[in-house]
Amino acid sequence: MNADKNYYDILRIAPNATEEEVRKAYRALVREYHPDVNQTVEAAEIFRDIQEAYETLSSPDQRRAYNRLREAEGFDKSSALTLRGTVSHKYLLTNIEEQALYVLLDITPATDLPTARLPLNLCLVLDKSTSMQGMRLQQVKEGTRQIIDRLNDDDALGLVIFSDRAEVVLPSQTNIDKAMAKSIASTIQPSGGTEMLQGLLAGLKELERNRSTESVNHLILLTDGQTYGDEKDCLERAEWAGLHQISLTTMGVGSDWNENLLDQMATVSGGSSVYIDSPRKIVDAFKSTIRHLSSVVARELTLSINAASGITLTEAFQITPHIRRLDVQANKAVLGPLGTGHEKTILMEFRVQSESTASKKRLLRLTIEGDVPNKQDRRNWEWLDIFTEFISKQEHPPEIPPALVTALGKLAIFKMQEKAMTDLEQGRISAATQRLETMATRLLNLGETDLARAALLEAGRLARTGDLSAEGRKKIRYGTRALSILPKEIRRD
Amino acid sequence: MIKCPFCGTTHVANTLFCSECGTYLLEDDRRGTDPLGTDEIGWVGEGEDEHGSSPLVKGTGPLSIRLKIGDQERKVEASLEKAIHMGRLDPASDVFPEIDLTKDNGLEKGVSRRHARILKREGTVVVEDLGSINGTFINGKRLAPYLPEVLHQGDQLQLGKLLIEIELL
Repeated sequence: MNADKNYYDILRIAPNATEEEVRKAYRALVREYHPDVNQTVEAAEIFRDIQEAYETLSSPDQRRAYNRLREAEGFDKSSALTLRGTVSHKYLLTNIEEQALYVLLDITPATDLPTARLPLNLCLVLDKSTSMQGMRLQQVKEGTRQIIDRLNDDDALGLVIFSDRAEVVLPSQTNIDKAMAKSIASTIQPSGGTEMLQGLLAGLKELERNRSTESVNHLILLTDGQTYGDEKDCLERAEWAGLHQISLTTMGVGSDWNENLLDQMATVSGGSSVYIDSPRKIVDAFKSTIRHLSSVVARELTLSINAASGITLTEAFQITPHIRRLDVQANKAVLGPLGTGHEKTILMEFRVQSESTASKKRLLRLTIEGDVPNKQDRRNWEWLDIFTEFISKQEHPPEIPPALVTALGKLAIFKMQEKAMTDLEQGRISAATQRLETMATRLLNLGETDLARAALLEAGRLARTGDLSAEGRKKIRYGTRALSILPKEIRRD
Repeated sequence: MIKCPFCGTTHVANTLFCSECGTYLLEDDRRGTDPLGTDEIGWVGEGEDEHGSSPLVKGTGPLSIRLKIGDQERKVEASLEKAIHMGRLDPASDVFPEIDLTKDNGLEKGVSRRHARILKREGTVVVEDLGSINGTFINGKRLAPYLPEVLHQGDQLQLGKLLIEIELL
């Protein structure tokens, strides 16, 4: 046993591989490197390593001892993250100009990770403009009370309400007197217009009071109206927040708010935006946000994609928790926080230049880095290598893993929606109409009848009036991105 | 290069979904449901209600259902505890019907992936067409999509051109 060698790497398996996987990996490698098959000096060395790795990892006792030894020597550090990759094509053909390859990456917190809840540093920034009057404001108050009930002593909460100006009704504090906080929430009275920037600035200022690198710093912004003239500043502040470990959940109620702005504000800060079509869903939105925040175990996740020569990334998307396009800069993409029960799935599409001879090749190394406050060594990283084999002739049609096909099918609809919106922005009304109609057909095939109906309705409206309704726009946008999570009655495995 | 059979856009080899129209490009057997001529299906017409009974009848009613499917009279029994979806299995579109009709020549007979479902409602057994391309029929009468109709003992159910005999247990 030699702790300097990474036996898992040698066998090309994950550290959490099962005994069966160890055995399989070993057999496959023996077929490749056995001296009877491969007589090069290099192969002989690799073969020795393979033997050694298998001897250790195939015995549970020895494997445990080896893991302990590795950890003691500072290798591996029993990572906080688990990665699993699924490749669309196990084999690629030689002598084709160019071919597509898809990789699905699942990122989950390691099962042995301490799940102690991180302290929250939370600020609610709530729109109290006149349009919030009635059911909307009533539900916001109820949602706020529910959040207060779910706070621990070391959590900090601040409460800001805004209309034409902002007002801090509860300065950010820990050890909250819950009864007092709830009564403050109950006294909010509707008045005035919507000036979001004022609320955002006051909210961020409150968060500063209790911001630390140990806590989950988060701002929930809820509005039901358009803000005028301060969009650019709002976005800048959201970006600033993202750079200071503050993420934003932006919530829009009804249909009269700017989804582009709220969406972007959430994205640049590493948070997410929520469409609330009916006031009845406000409380649920609040509850699910606090649940999500309470489950965070890793923060500031980034993905690095290192591709071998001849391979280029064309597009990358987050599939779960909801579909969104990833902005990949210099081979890196920001993924935001990771919670238990909110595993992230990333889908990447590559173009591969074919090799001229049959061979096995490592195509990619995918690395995830993140800050895990519950681990002693907070900076954590984990990587995964993706291999493929170039062959000259394919006997059978390729078997594409169903998980990948399902994800791609939903992504295809999301992309169609993106394209329809671009068409519309650039004045290509009939192209946009047609796309919405095609989209409706695909949605029907998936059994998404409600969303299909909305798409058809909007296609009709578009053809007649040249524009979409504010409500339809939001329904389609938020509906398609949620395709990956909707639990369907017909879906069973 | 490969070409999308639906919209004609070309893509690099191994592309799985058309970026223009979202068509799955690996369907070598063209699994899409082609519309059949209506005369082939034996369409009788809507509006003639032979049973006239309301689906809102109280009672426990049958517990399960036996289907005799197609020319081969394949027999399937299913519990009515939950809705029974009928169609063609297609993991690519995330369609997993309880009763998969692929083996019963479903494709040739014009069965959609999500074609129809049978469920219990207020003690009676109803069938609902799920917006299928070639329609669902009870004793030759076409159902309006998404409008459940009551099924009776011995009724002849038809999905596209596929005949299914109903026995309530």
